[in-house]
Amino acid sequence: MKIALIGKGGSGKTAIAGMLARTFARSGREVVALDCDANPNLGISLGVGLEATERLAAIRQSLDDGDAEHTPGVEELLERFGVLGPDGVRLAVVTQIDQPNPG
Amino acid sequence: MRVAFVGKGGAGKSALAGTLCRHLARRGQHVLALDLDTMAGLALSVGLGTDSARLPLGLAEHIEGKGWQVKAGLRPARLVDRFARTGPDGVRFLELGKLPGQVEPTVTVAFRYLLERFRRRGWSLVADLAAGTRQPMFGWAGFARTVLVVADPSSKSTLTARRLAKAGVGTHLVANKVQSPADLAAIEAAVPLPLVGWVPYDAGLADAERQGRAPMDAAPDAPAVRAIGELAARLLESAV
Repeated sequence: MKIALIGKGGSGKTAIAGMLARTFARSGREVVALDCDANPNLGISLGVGLEATERLAAIRQSLDDGDAEHTPGVEELLERFGVLGPDGVRLAVVTQIDQPNPG
Repeated sequence: MRVAFVGKGGAGKSALAGTLCRHLARRGQHVLALDLDTMAGLALSVGLGTDSARLPLGLAEHIEGKGWQVKAGLRPARLVDRFARTGPDGVRFLELGKLPGQVEPTVTVAFRYLLERFRRRGWSLVADLAAGTRQPMFGWAGFARTVLVVADPSSKSTLTARRLAKAGVGTHLVANKVQSPADLAAIEAAVPLPLVGWVPYDAGLADAERQGRAPMDAAPDAPAVRAIGELAARLLESAV
């Protein structure tokens, strides 16, 4: 199945997405969690930790900064830009990051 | 003064911005409250309910070779006089728009023009930006001398605030929903910006939000509302 969560900021999209992903994983499903927010925080709610969450955003950013010759496919995004989190949930940041002036 | 509020969704930007507007108005400022968010928010916190006030379509035009420009002779002050609603304490209010048909280039270009060019003696501009990092990083807070990054103690909120700070968007930090000295210390440690004020967690404020009423009307004596009053005084003293 494919599930998307939308709603106003602060209403709990990310927290609920993280809990759903963990719950499905525990019931034996393979779960891919995609952070489609330009300000990606899903890693925190999934439990991969603050550092890995920041690292994923930075890796995703480097993809845009570099001169990649092709748009990465789904598999490549997951393999190269994903991280394996608790309960076996695989997380990838798939949206372009808003950071025109990284400091 | 020219102030913008940025931060993660749910951090309290609108509640703080709306209440700050009311405090500034009660201290003698003419206040123009601007809602740049496409989600409902600032009008409720100012005390205008769900009344909206937008610029009409067609104030800008696309010129070959020059891109989008506001139409000749458009005066920001006149746009405010004509189109901004008047709320409690005389706060004037204008929003970018909420629906896809409302937020289109002729409106966006005219709104940004007003934001950057409107200046009138004795007037303060207070803008509430969209949640997250996208809108601030596209320069929508650039009109403001003071860009307040609002963060609550959750790590998602402080992470967003840190990203905004690192991108050079914010000038000051406002800690919100603070329940303990440890909360305040954690927010300050996470966000590399000078703290200009902090607001305690306050059930009165949450209740006002639940009712869709302005905190200033629903809970005028709530500790959070008083703390925002102190922030207003500090901002006026430093003449931002």
